[in-house]
Amino acid sequence: MAEPLPTLKKLERRTQDMVLTYDDGNTYTVTYDDLRHACPCAKCAPMRNEDDTSRTLRRQIEALPAEKPTVRTVGKYAVSFEWLQGCSSGIYRFERLHDLALRRDPDRGKPYVHGAW
Amino acid sequence: MADSPVTINSPGGQSTPASSEPTPQEQKQMEQAYAQMKRKMAMEEIGRKIKHKIMVLSGKGGVGKSTVSTGLALSLAQQGHRVGILDIDITGPNVPKMMGLDGRRLHVENKRIHPAEGHLGVKVISMAFLLEDEDTPVVWRGPIKLGAIQQFIGDVEWGELEYLIIDFPPGTSDEPLTVAQSLPDIDGMVIVTTPQQVALLDSRKSITFSESLKVPVLGVVENMSGFTVNGTAEPGTSLSIAGPGGKTLSATADSEGRFSVTLDIFKQGGGQATADEFGVPFLGALPFDPGFVRGGDDGVHRIVSEPDGPSAHAFANVVAAIQAQLSDGSDSGLEIV
Repeated sequence: MAEPLPTLKKLERRTQDMVLTYDDGNTYTVTYDDLRHACPCAKCAPMRNEDDTSRTLRRQIEALPAEKPTVRTVGKYAVSFEWLQGCSSGIYRFERLHDLALRRDPDRGKPYVHGAW
Repeated sequence: MADSPVTINSPGGQSTPASSEPTPQEQKQMEQAYAQMKRKMAMEEIGRKIKHKIMVLSGKGGVGKSTVSTGLALSLAQQGHRVGILDIDITGPNVPKMMGLDGRRLHVENKRIHPAEGHLGVKVISMAFLLEDEDTPVVWRGPIKLGAIQQFIGDVEWGELEYLIIDFPPGTSDEPLTVAQSLPDIDGMVIVTTPQQVALLDSRKSITFSESLKVPVLGVVENMSGFTVNGTAEPGTSLSIAGPGGKTLSATADSEGRFSVTLDIFKQGGGQATADEFGVPFLGALPFDPGFVRGGDDGVHRIVSEPDGPSAHAFANVVAAIQAQLSDGSDSGLEIV
């Protein structure tokens, strides 16, 4: 059975990372590099399938200038991050952010396969 | 232009009429600019009067987008909400037929367009109301379409609505872009798909398109999901039915002799897979119901003719899933600093 997801109450943007505060009282720090590397969009996600392309994605992200993103809620289920440079397409479900907060693989070990059904 | 707002301000602060008369071309430009400004203000006003605006799109034609749009509108109206449908499918408008408004004309008063009222009081605006006959194709280039869409948004007297459902033509063309840029505070878009792979490929385009429009995806609806066959037999009888794709389906008649089997005519589960792939919500599956075809032709929507039927229930579930995604005005409670 899936564990209950605590509600994200506060997202504090700092220069290199963000601080996530949940209603269970826990606070976590997620770096922007980790966040961007975990982008769920159809361009970034396939790059995480293989170790070498995943490293390439990481290097591309680390080469971007540090910036604070604009953050928007998407419906009641997710947030999106808009960057001046790099990919802004990903919609991050709250489950995904929580996985990142707990340093868990947000893809849950599942490779991205286009049209996998 | 007797009521022209254009005057020339002199350096002394006094407003005086222009010293030289504008040329007819300048006059026309000023009138157009004034009309555009008035329309923009009207759009903002409409944006305030309509609480939730939901776009319904699909990447592919023929997936039942207008059926889903009308079904969502009627399902919301069944809940007691004030609802409107804006049929933006300029070249192939068919919402009026489904809403029992075939052959109606629009009422215009004081230069404002008043929507027609269909089943359950749902207000409808569609290009079909402006066509002389339904066999005449609308062949318009982009700028004319853009003007018509802006007029449909800015010049319509919707009144106060809780929900406006906007039905688009298939694909990722001018229409959604124009609406997204014209109508403020769109809540999001619902992507309609059918389970087969070709429709799903195009749905994924729609999801990616939403990102460029900066309109969130509320979720994916799988239409024509499964066709349920009901029948009777001797109680306890086991039946084998040849289903699509060479699959054999089994059913057993219950103690009253009833059985039912669902045939996945266009495969199954693809809408959920697309939603999972893009990390957007799956709003639900709608059954393949031939009653929609008959209802569409007869102008009596399935939800109206059978308000407690399985299709009406499926729509109610999709509506509930959409409502769960919408901001209720009190925001999500997330503080972003």
